[in-house]
Amino acid sequence: MNDTSNIKHQTSNILHFLWQIVDVIVGGIFIYAGAIKVLDPVQFANDIDNYKILPWTISVGLAFYLPWLEIFCGLALIVRRLYFGGLSILTALVAVFLAATIAAKIRGLDITCGCFGHVSQNWNFPAHLAIDLAILAALLALSFRVVSGNRLQDAV
Amino acid sequence: MKSSLVRQALVLAALAFVPTLVQAIYFGDKVSWRSPVPASEMVTVTQARAWDKNAIWVDARPDNEFARDHVPGALPLNEDRWNELLAQFLGAWSPEKKVVVYCGSEGCNASREVAHRLRKEAQLANVFVLEGGWEEWLKEK
Repeated sequence: MNDTSNIKHQTSNILHFLWQIVDVIVGGIFIYAGAIKVLDPVQFANDIDNYKILPWTISVGLAFYLPWLEIFCGLALIVRRLYFGGLSILTALVAVFLAATIAAKIRGLDITCGCFGHVSQNWNFPAHLAIDLAILAALLALSFRVVSGNRLQDAV
Repeated sequence: MKSSLVRQALVLAALAFVPTLVQAIYFGDKVSWRSPVPASEMVTVTQARAWDKNAIWVDARPDNEFARDHVPGALPLNEDRWNELLAQFLGAWSPEKKVVVYCGSEGCNASREVAHRLRKEAQLANVFVLEGGWEEWLKEK
C-alpha cells in the first residue's frame, strides 16, 4: 500500500516538474518574442498594419503595448505569479493572431507577422501556422491543467 | 476563480502600460501616429510651401483626378503609368530640389508607395510625403 502511494507521489512530482518545464519554455518564448519587438516598435507597427485590419494609429499603440504585455505574461508563467491571468491573456493573444493570420491569407495579403523579429520574416504560411498552433496547444494544455484543479493552489 | 482570473489579467495589463508609456515617449519623434511614414519623411503643407521653387510637387493620384485639379506646377506620377511618367518627372527633377509627393487624403497609400519607389528605384534623396494629401492642401489653400 505504501509502495503504491510512494510511486503515485513520485509520478506526481515528475509530472509537476515536467509542467514547470513547459511553463518556462512557453514563458521564455513570449519573453523572447516580446523583447525582439520592443527593440523595433516601428517595424512591428508596420507588421500589424500589413494585416489591413486596424487604423495606423491603433497599430502604433499596439506595437508599443503588446510586446510588453507578452513579456509580463511570459514572466508570470515563469515566476508563477498572476499565473492564470498571464495564461489567459497569452491564449487570447495567440488565438486572435491565428485568426488574423488565416483571414489575411484568405484575403490574399502578403504578410510578415514579425512575431519573432527577423527570425520569422522568411517563414512561410504553413510554418507560421504550425508554430502558432503548437504554442496555442501548449497554452491550452496549461490552462486545462489549472482549470482541472491540479494546480489551483499554485495559480492563485 | 473567475474573479481571480480577471483580477490577474487586469494587473498584468496595467503593469504592461508603464513601460509602454515610457517607450512611446522615447520613440515620440521616431514614429508618426498619423501615418506609417516616419516623421522625418513627412512634410506639412506649410513647410512644403515654404520651400517654394526648391520643391517639385508630385501628384500620385490617378490620371483623372490629376486632370480635374492639382497643385499648381505638380507633375503626375502614379503607379498605373509609372515608367512613362517617371521619365517625364526625371526630366524636370534636379538634385538640389526636394520632392513632395501627395495623394488624395490622409488615408491613401499612393503617395507613400510613390515616395518609396522614388527612393528605392530612382535612388532619389529628399523625397517627402505630404501630410493629409490633396485634402489638406485644399484646406490650406
